[in-house]
Amino acid sequence: MNLNKKVFIGLLSLLISSFSLADELLLKNAKIHTATDRGTIEKADILIRDGKIVRIGKNIVSSRAVEKDLSGKVISPGLIAPLTQLGIVEIELIPETRDDRSDIYSAGLSIDSAFNPSSTLIPYNLTGGITVSLTSPSSSGLFSGLTSAFSLSGSLEESLISSNIALSANIGGGEDSMAAKVQLLGDSLTLSAFVELKECLEMHHNKSSLPDGVNYSCRDLLALKKVVDKKIPLVVRANRASVILTLIDFAKTNNINLIINGAEEGWRVSKQLAEAEIPVILQPIDNIPNSFNELGSRLDNASLLHKSGVKILIGSHETHNAYLSRQGAGIAVSYGLPWEEALKGLTKNIAEVFKLDKRGSIQPGYIADIVIWSGDPLEVTSFVEQVYLSGESVPAKNRSMRLKDRYISQ
Amino acid sequence: MKKLIFIVFIGTFSFLTLSSKETTAFESTYQPGNSGDILIENARILTGTGNEILGGSILISSNKIKAIGKDLNKPVNTQTIDANGKWVTPGIIDIHSHMGVYPAPGLRSSSDGNESTSPVTAHVWAEHSVWTQDPQMPLALKGGITTFHVLPGSANLIGGRGVTLKNIWSRTVQGMKFPGAPYTLKMACGENPKRVYGGRNSEPSTRMGNVAGYRKAWIRAQGYRNKLAEYESKSEEAKELEYAPTRDLELETLVGVLDGEILIQNHCYRGEEMAVMLDIAKEFNYKVTTFHHAVEAYKVADILAENGVCAAMWADWWGFKHEAFDMVWENAAIVDQANGGNGCAIIHSDSSVGIQRLNQEAAKAMAAGNRAGLDIPSSRAIQWITLNPAKALGIAGKVGSLEVGKMADVVIWDGNPFSVYTKTEKVFVDGVLLYDKDNPSTPKATDFELGIINSEGDRL
Repeated sequence: MNLNKKVFIGLLSLLISSFSLADELLLKNAKIHTATDRGTIEKADILIRDGKIVRIGKNIVSSRAVEKDLSGKVISPGLIAPLTQLGIVEIELIPETRDDRSDIYSAGLSIDSAFNPSSTLIPYNLTGGITVSLTSPSSSGLFSGLTSAFSLSGSLEESLISSNIALSANIGGGEDSMAAKVQLLGDSLTLSAFVELKECLEMHHNKSSLPDGVNYSCRDLLALKKVVDKKIPLVVRANRASVILTLIDFAKTNNINLIINGAEEGWRVSKQLAEAEIPVILQPIDNIPNSFNELGSRLDNASLLHKSGVKILIGSHETHNAYLSRQGAGIAVSYGLPWEEALKGLTKNIAEVFKLDKRGSIQPGYIADIVIWSGDPLEVTSFVEQVYLSGESVPAKNRSMRLKDRYISQ
Repeated sequence: MKKLIFIVFIGTFSFLTLSSKETTAFESTYQPGNSGDILIENARILTGTGNEILGGSILISSNKIKAIGKDLNKPVNTQTIDANGKWVTPGIIDIHSHMGVYPAPGLRSSSDGNESTSPVTAHVWAEHSVWTQDPQMPLALKGGITTFHVLPGSANLIGGRGVTLKNIWSRTVQGMKFPGAPYTLKMACGENPKRVYGGRNSEPSTRMGNVAGYRKAWIRAQGYRNKLAEYESKSEEAKELEYAPTRDLELETLVGVLDGEILIQNHCYRGEEMAVMLDIAKEFNYKVTTFHHAVEAYKVADILAENGVCAAMWADWWGFKHEAFDMVWENAAIVDQANGGNGCAIIHSDSSVGIQRLNQEAAKAMAAGNRAGLDIPSSRAIQWITLNPAKALGIAGKVGSLEVGKMADVVIWDGNPFSVYTKTEKVFVDGVLLYDKDNPSTPKATDFELGIINSEGDRL
C-alpha cells in the first residue's frame, strides 16, 4: 500500500466516521434566550445530542456535530400553550369538528383518545413557535375535565407527553349563584376523598351527600380525588378579585393545589395570591370589562402581579392562533412586565406549574424543543424561521403557506 | 372565543330617510372644542399619503392641519410639542366596529347589533342602537382610534345602515356623528344569514338562497325608485292632485345605494362569493365599496383591484367558521400589491381588543408581506388603517392623512407604531388633545365607569 493510498483510506475512514458520528447538532452564534436565571446570552452556541440540550455557551466545538450558523438569529425555548383546544377542535362553529365537550363525563373527561395529531391547527401553531399544548376540554359545567400535554410534532404515535395533569373547573357564567358553585366544588372534592374505585362501583353512595340532579360517575370522582390527593392541580377560571380571594381560601381549606385562569382583577389581590403561592394564567391582551366580574381589567395586570411575586403563565383566548400568546406577552412588557419574565410566562413557568419534566427552558439535560426566530420573539414583526422538536428540525409548512404560494404570483 | 359573540350574530341595522333629500333626522351635532394652535416638532411622520418625513413638523390651528413639513415657522401663541424620538401618524380609523351596539359588559340587554328577525332589514340604523357610554370607546382612543365605523351585525342579508363616528365622549350619538360622512349599508354573504334563517327553517338556508334574497330586495328597490321618479316627473299641478308615494324606510335606504349616496359595506369571506356580489352590483348598477372579513381576498385580489373595491381584513384570524378556513398571513399585502400596487387593503378589527392595536395588526400583515418578498414600507402599510378606510367610508377628503386642510386627527406614538412595545402618547381629535399619557384623567371616563373600581385611575 503506497502512501497515497494510505492517506486516501485514512481520509475516507475519517470522512465515514465523521458522518457516522454526526449525531450532534451545534447551533452557533445566535442570541439565546434561555428562560432560566442565565437570561439571554448574546452570540452563543447550543450543543444538542440525542434530542437533549448538552451545553450552552460561547465557542463550543464538537467534531461530531452538524453545525448551523445562526448569526443574527434569535433562539428561544419552544413556547407552551396553556389550556387550548389544540388537537380537539377544527372549526369552532361546527360541533361535529369538536371533541372538547361532553355531557357524559364531567371531571373525569380525559381527551387523550380524541387528540388528532394531524389537526389543521397544529402546523399553524408550530410555525408560530408553539411546541407543546396543554390541551383541555371546555365543557361549560362545573368541571370541564382533564388537561393533557401534547407535543405539536404531528406524530401519530408519540404526541402525548403527559396525561391528565390538571382538572379545570368553571364557577362563573350560567344562571346559578357563583357561591353555590364554589360550595358544590367543595362538596364534590370532599366526597371524592373517600372514594375508592371498587367501593364506588359497588355502592354508588355518592348520591346521598350531593344535591338532587348532581351525579358523578366513578370516573369523575376519581379525577376529583386526584385533586384532593394533590396529584394534580385544580384550574379555576375566575376574574373578580373577591372570587379570587374566595378561591384562595378554598384552596387552603381543602388543601389542594390551585391555579387561577383569567385573574383579570388579580392585581387587586396580588399579595394574597403571592402569599398563597397560587400561579395565574393570564391573557394579557384582554383588558375589556366583558362582564361585571372583570370591571377592573387592565393591561398592566401581569406587571403588577409579577411585582408582588405571583408566578405568571401567559396564554391566549384563541385556540386557532394560540401562538398569539407571544403578542400578549409583548403587550404585558410594554406595560411594565420585565421581558425575561414574559418569556418565562410563555415557557418555563408553564412547564414548572404543570410539571412538564425537562421542558420550557434552554439548559443542559433539557429536551431540545427550540425555536429560531428572525428577531425578538415577542415582537409582532418577527417570525419563526425553524423549529426543532427534540433536536429534530421540523418541516415548517402549513396550509396558509401553500395557499399563499398558489395565489401570490397570480 | 369571545369574538364568536360578534361573528355569530352580526347583523342588525337601521334606516330611515334616504332617497328623499329632505330627510334631516339624526343629523350630526358634533362640534369640536377649541384646539388652539399647536406645533408638533422633530417627529418621524408617516403622513398617510404614502410618505415619511424625518424630523418633520405639523402645525394645528383651528382644529385643522395648517401646515406639515420640515422647518415650519412657529406662529406666536403656539404651543410646541417636542416629538423628538417619537412617531406621528394620522388618527387611526377602524372601518369595522360594533362598539356601542355590542358594548361592554356584554349583556343581552344592550346587545343591539343584529335585528335578526328578518333577512332583509334595510330599515334599521346602527346609530339607533349605539350606547354612547360604552367603556370600550376610550380604550380604543388610547389605541389611537379617532374615527370608527359602527355596523349592524351579519345575521341578515341586508342588515341596515352603518354610521361613522368620531371617537369622542358625547351624551348623544348625534354628537359623535362624523359631519358629512355618507351613510353605509351592511350586507352579509355566506354562513351567517343562512345559519340564522335556515336554522328556523326559513329562507335563506343556502348560499343560493342568500343571493336570491339580495336580488329580490334590489328589484323591490328599483320599483320604488321608479315610483318616486314617476311622481317627481309630474307637473306641479298634477302633484297637487295626488299624494306623494308613502315613504318606505326599507326601500329608501336601498334606493340610496342605487343613487350612489349610501356605500355598501359587505361582509364576505370567500373569493367566489365576492365575485358573485360584484355581479349583483353590476346587475343593479350599484357599487360595492368594501368587502369586510375578506379572508379570501387574496384569491380575487386582481378582480377587486379592477373593480375599485377595498378589502377589509384581519391580520391572522381564522378557523372560527368554515368560510374562515383559508386564511393566509399575506392577505393584506397581496391585496395591496394587486394590479401593480393599485389594490385597496384595509386592516379592520371587529373586536374591542383588536381595535386597541390596529397598528400591531397592520404590522403583522406588513411583516408577512415583506417576508413573502412583497416590498411594503411602513409608510404604505399605515394607509391600511388610515387613508384606505377613510376612502372606503367616503371621508378621505377630511381625514385619513396628514394634509393641509384636513381635520387634525393626529397620534403621537412613543416609538415605531409597527411594534408590540409602542404605545400612543397623545391622541388629538380635531386638534383637541383627548388622550395624553401624562394626564391620568384622559381619556374622559364614560358614565358607566364612574365610581367603578377607581376606573379613572386604575383601569388602563
